[in-house]
Amino acid sequence: MGRPPLVVVFVALVIIALGELSGAVLSQLRPATARWAAARIAANPQVHGLTGSAEYDDTVREQTVFATEAGLSFFHTHAEGTGLVLFFAATLVASVARRRALRGALYTLLTVGALFPLGYLVYAVAVLQLGRDTGIELAETWVLTPLGSSAILGLLGLAVVLARR
Amino acid sequence: MIPPPDATWRLPPRGVLLAAVVLLVAAEIGGASMSRYKLELTRWARTGMLAHPDVHGLVGVRDVDERTLDEALFRFDAGLRLFHMHAEGMALVVIATTTVAATLARSALPRRALIILLTVGGVGYPLGYLIWSALIPAYGVERSKAIAEWLFWIPFGGATIVALLWLATLTAARMVRR
Repeated sequence: MGRPPLVVVFVALVIIALGELSGAVLSQLRPATARWAAARIAANPQVHGLTGSAEYDDTVREQTVFATEAGLSFFHTHAEGTGLVLFFAATLVASVARRRALRGALYTLLTVGALFPLGYLVYAVAVLQLGRDTGIELAETWVLTPLGSSAILGLLGLAVVLARR
Repeated sequence: MIPPPDATWRLPPRGVLLAAVVLLVAAEIGGASMSRYKLELTRWARTGMLAHPDVHGLVGVRDVDERTLDEALFRFDAGLRLFHMHAEGMALVVIATTTVAATLARSALPRRALIILLTVGGVGYPLGYLIWSALIPAYGVERSKAIAEWLFWIPFGGATIVALLWLATLTAARMVRR
């Protein structure tokens, strides 16, 4: 099988390593993460729409902390997956795409796409800084959608190359 | 930056590939068994929990005990699911990363160390989830979690993380040298 450029291999390894590390951090520091998230919400009461009513505020706080934890958890699972997708897809590109320019374009799309899980880190932090709905919208619009689209385009390109062989 | 089409991967030793494939098979069987034998597994775990009432804090009051048993059974099931998912993922991680190590680590000693760490860590880590589930009926949720953590997750997960960071550094060094 063909070997992709070292920079592609490096990004795949770093993304997988970050996925592993975040899993370990998540399991060891879950209570600390929840406390930190709750403190961030308390520091931004207006963006979270806290009213001073304990019952309502507790619900908002729980939902936002849950969204942050979900973002971190999605980062862990997606980083493990997209690192592997980049490794195996780029290996296929190296093996089947003959034209140098085409290989370069597919490597670029796939490598940028492999950064997709970083969108979940943005998601986890943005919901705390900007409020749940605004934070999720920001992460989806500016990070998850462009990076995810890049991965999809890269994989579609690879599929076309494979189909035409 | 784009290597010529003749740049190829070197396969890791056959034993490594075999270990990864066996782990994949175990993950598939684990997933299939979880759904096919769900009732039997739940019954087995529940019987084990009832045989160790002190461990689970059962007090003999049905309403209270049922809630405790449900919580422990949920964790038992979660452990099996996490084994299934992590075994699938880590088997592929072992294949990918040992392939990189076999190709890019030029000196024999670091190459062998990396391949051993990645294989042992990657195969051993998911087994922790299986052990966690298996121990829950006899030792309770938290104690079995601590056992799995110290015997499996920390040593094997740690080996994988150290080896991955080492391999990423080695790859970066190769990039810089070019």
